[in-house]
Amino acid sequence: MAEGEKRRRFSNLRSVLWRVDLGILPASPEASVEEHRRAAADSRRRYVTLRRRLLVDPHVPKDESRSSDLVVDNPLSQNPDSSWGRFFKGAELEKTVDQDLSRLYPEDGSYFQTPACQAMLRRILLMWCLQHPEYGYRQGMHELLAPLVYVLQVDIDELSQVRKLHEDCFNDDFDGVPFLDTDMVFSYKPRKDPKWNLGYDDEYNSERSSKINTLDELDSDTKEIILLSDAYGAEGELGIVLSERFMEHDAYSMFDGLMDGGSGMVHMAEFFSPSSVGSSSNLPPVIEASSALYHLLSIVEPTLHNHFIELKVEPQWFALRWLRVLFGREFCLNDLLVVWDKVFACSNNMLLSSDEEYNFRILCSARGAFIAAMAVSMLLHIRSSLLATEIDIFCLQRLLNFPTNIDVQKLIEKATSLQSIAIEANTSFSSFLLKRDSCEYDRVHSNRATSTPPRTPLHPLSESYWEEKWRNVHKDGTTPKESEKGDSFSKQLKKSLTQRLGLSRTESDPSPVKVLSVKNDTRNSVRRCLLNTLSDDLERSNEVAGKIQQDEFPIGSVHREPPMSSAEPSKLKAAGENATVSPLCVAKVNPLKNYVVEPAHENATQRTKCIAESCSSGENSPVFYAASSGNEPENSQGIDSESSSVTSNSCAGDHDKDEILKDESSNSNDDSKTIQDSEAAFSDKSPDQDETSERAVVSNERKPFISKLQWLLKLGRPSVEGNMEKSSGETSDDKQGVDASHSPPSDGNSNNSRGSVKLASGDKKVMGTLKNLGQNMLENIQVIESAFQQDRGQPGPVENFSNNILGGKGQVTAMAALTELRKISNLLSEM
Amino acid sequence: MVLVLALGDLHVPHRAADLPAKFKSMLVPGKIQHIICTGNLCIKEVHDYLKSLCPDLHITRGEYDEDARYPETKTLTIGLFKLGLCHGHQVVPWGDLDSLAMLQRQLDVDILVTGHTHQFKAYKHEGGVVINPGSATGAYSSITYDVNPSFVLMDIDGLRVVVYVYELIDGEVKVDKIDFKKTATMHA
Repeated sequence: MAEGEKRRRFSNLRSVLWRVDLGILPASPEASVEEHRRAAADSRRRYVTLRRRLLVDPHVPKDESRSSDLVVDNPLSQNPDSSWGRFFKGAELEKTVDQDLSRLYPEDGSYFQTPACQAMLRRILLMWCLQHPEYGYRQGMHELLAPLVYVLQVDIDELSQVRKLHEDCFNDDFDGVPFLDTDMVFSYKPRKDPKWNLGYDDEYNSERSSKINTLDELDSDTKEIILLSDAYGAEGELGIVLSERFMEHDAYSMFDGLMDGGSGMVHMAEFFSPSSVGSSSNLPPVIEASSALYHLLSIVEPTLHNHFIELKVEPQWFALRWLRVLFGREFCLNDLLVVWDKVFACSNNMLLSSDEEYNFRILCSARGAFIAAMAVSMLLHIRSSLLATEIDIFCLQRLLNFPTNIDVQKLIEKATSLQSIAIEANTSFSSFLLKRDSCEYDRVHSNRATSTPPRTPLHPLSESYWEEKWRNVHKDGTTPKESEKGDSFSKQLKKSLTQRLGLSRTESDPSPVKVLSVKNDTRNSVRRCLLNTLSDDLERSNEVAGKIQQDEFPIGSVHREPPMSSAEPSKLKAAGENATVSPLCVAKVNPLKNYVVEPAHENATQRTKCIAESCSSGENSPVFYAASSGNEPENSQGIDSESSSVTSNSCAGDHDKDEILKDESSNSNDDSKTIQDSEAAFSDKSPDQDETSERAVVSNERKPFISKLQWLLKLGRPSVEGNMEKSSGETSDDKQGVDASHSPPSDGNSNNSRGSVKLASGDKKVMGTLKNLGQNMLENIQVIESAFQQDRGQPGPVENFSNNILGGKGQVTAMAALTELRKISNLLSEM
Repeated sequence: MVLVLALGDLHVPHRAADLPAKFKSMLVPGKIQHIICTGNLCIKEVHDYLKSLCPDLHITRGEYDEDARYPETKTLTIGLFKLGLCHGHQVVPWGDLDSLAMLQRQLDVDILVTGHTHQFKAYKHEGGVVINPGSATGAYSSITYDVNPSFVLMDIDGLRVVVYVYELIDGEVKVDKIDFKKTATMHA
């Protein structure tokens, strides 16, 4: 009976095939018809006993106890044991089920709306829910059941077709030999064939009579159908595998098999439960499965994944429906049957050994992996239209109205190809956060799962966001490459930082739960670009004039950190006044002062130094931005949560910085709210860190930060290569109390290779960030302009500084740079 | 499978404050389809409470009822059974079976529910059933000593009615069950 490898047995009989896949009928390809029949009969008997037990009529007196305790068994009894109690519970359940059933495939003439079918569906659902009270009835179960009943019905129709064609095989003719009442069994006379009666139909009759005499003359498929439906085979009528009488029983067993997943990993029932029992993290299984989806997507198509993250589209918003009904709502019924063919064909057994760690429960079986892969391939199918959406509502609209004119085969092929990736992704730790080790992850993720918008990213790295953006603006299109390296670089950086700050996140690839890290990545890439554009511009400006260059630097730094310029003076003032000035601040101030005091340094050196300093001081810049936003309320319109979140996130653990900021902001009219927010964020992030240690840490982290920045610049700017080492030495001197850290070049090399690998994936990230960049650019420009106004009035220790800025030529070049900025921002917003 | 609650003679607030707590805990909305009340509630609040248990409420007037709009007698059909409702103080002698039977024939009902005596009674009589649900609060009665709170729940199912009697005896709820089958030939 075994067919060729390509074509599975029973491929023309979906219900039998599915029953084999779901574990009801024997799965081995060599199983005989008898075995199938026996298995079918067993499943039916199980159903009937269940039905007799559960569908209890309280009126029918129980056989065993005539004098059942009336106190328990009266209709008003609150006792849960009473049969009346069960009756009322069943009545309620039935009402809920009915609500859904009445809306099942409501097209006219639909098979599902016929009363007989509805009654059958209702009974099946009721029975299952009574049997599994921990799940109850949830909307969607009826949609899982409906196609199962449908395929059974289709097969029964097929059977009746066969019956019509091959009547002779079905009637009681005992192997084709008709026994008429008048004839003797053993007789010499020629038998009177009833078909001979009609004379003029002779040749037609003779044709028919010579048609089928034995079963073996039929093709194997039909033969199988007939054998499966033979009333005299194993188990008699109960064993007829395709039987209308037992359709309800079979549908129930299929439904049960689907929901319980056999002994495999994917239990559809889990997707309906809101509790976190049965998932490897403390999340409801469906949420976990949705995040598995995002995880796979991030591996396969990071752009789309990042797009989702940016729009704050959580996977379960659409994946819930997809998973719970196994795509029943996304495809028409016929397509759905094809999809389910493939889903069920995948085995549901656990692929990993029992002690292996895995990330997602759903991906532990081939079937689950295929489901996830199917979802991802659907996402990829509408990728372009999804990327075009700008707000989450439109994105969701697109997702929830999946196009109907699709080639299902193509989707399935894609899904099959992704399936292996999915299984891979389940166990690979390098690409995913070690959930088990990080309780923090659980906390964050569960918060994320429960509260809809992801919180502002809390990452410890305080990069010079504004600096990067500025660079990016001036870069003019060669950003992707740099952003590549920036990504990997930033990841390296983050890794080292997390290690230092004791966060157990390890992550090098973007992942779905890393809304935070991904955001960070995009921002880092932005910064990377900014960094490069800054160096570019500085190079360019170098060609203009020496003195102007020097003027450029402060302007450059102003450009890079627009708030810096305004905040810096006030900061310096505060630093002068404030007794509790931290070494950090001094460190910050010093480089600037150094830089300011020694305008006669080599251009290259200055450039790099300024870059380094800006980077280092850039830590504060977003924070200062908050302060400066207080200064320039008219310019802070449209400062979106992103920037303030950047603000809050930029200096994780820098409580002392916050204090200083607070002083500054108290000087000016402010919304200290943002600062307090950031403080709150910091206190959330690292509540247990000592301030002093923080300072040390931060200064420590700046060292590798700067060195790595220099490495990056080295990659992008071969011309300043030689200066890198020099400036690194210089900056290390500049920094106080900071250990001269590891060698940048060695890091550089390793990062380099990784950076090039990241080229392809990071490319797409830039696209999304550029849009945001454009908006921020405009804000920056406004800030810069007003900063100029402010600086003019700043007296005191910043005289040198402001003098440089306010040098006439300096101002002109500043304005020129500003117009440049504007142009680029327009370009960006167009993109 | 229709559940019909029959009760009466609560005499709230004059002779009793409220239904017993155990009774109240049993009477939850959603299970009962009809309520028939023999009368003597006496105030509107009791009426509202019963209405909250089930929207289909039928009451007849007792002599102490404050709402004068209740009818003296009422008949209704539930399933295959005809039910008759009356308070019972109109039928003299109070509680006499033959007189009640006369009323039953007058109303032409299968099941007659009356009260006033504050004592549970259920008779099968001439092809019909006469039920007295007693007093749901156990209110004082001049004609009955030692009144126990009681009420009746009828389960009407096709041709069969099962009468569950709930009595509060010594602080415990006691349940009893009586089966009645409607014969094909009822009274003429």
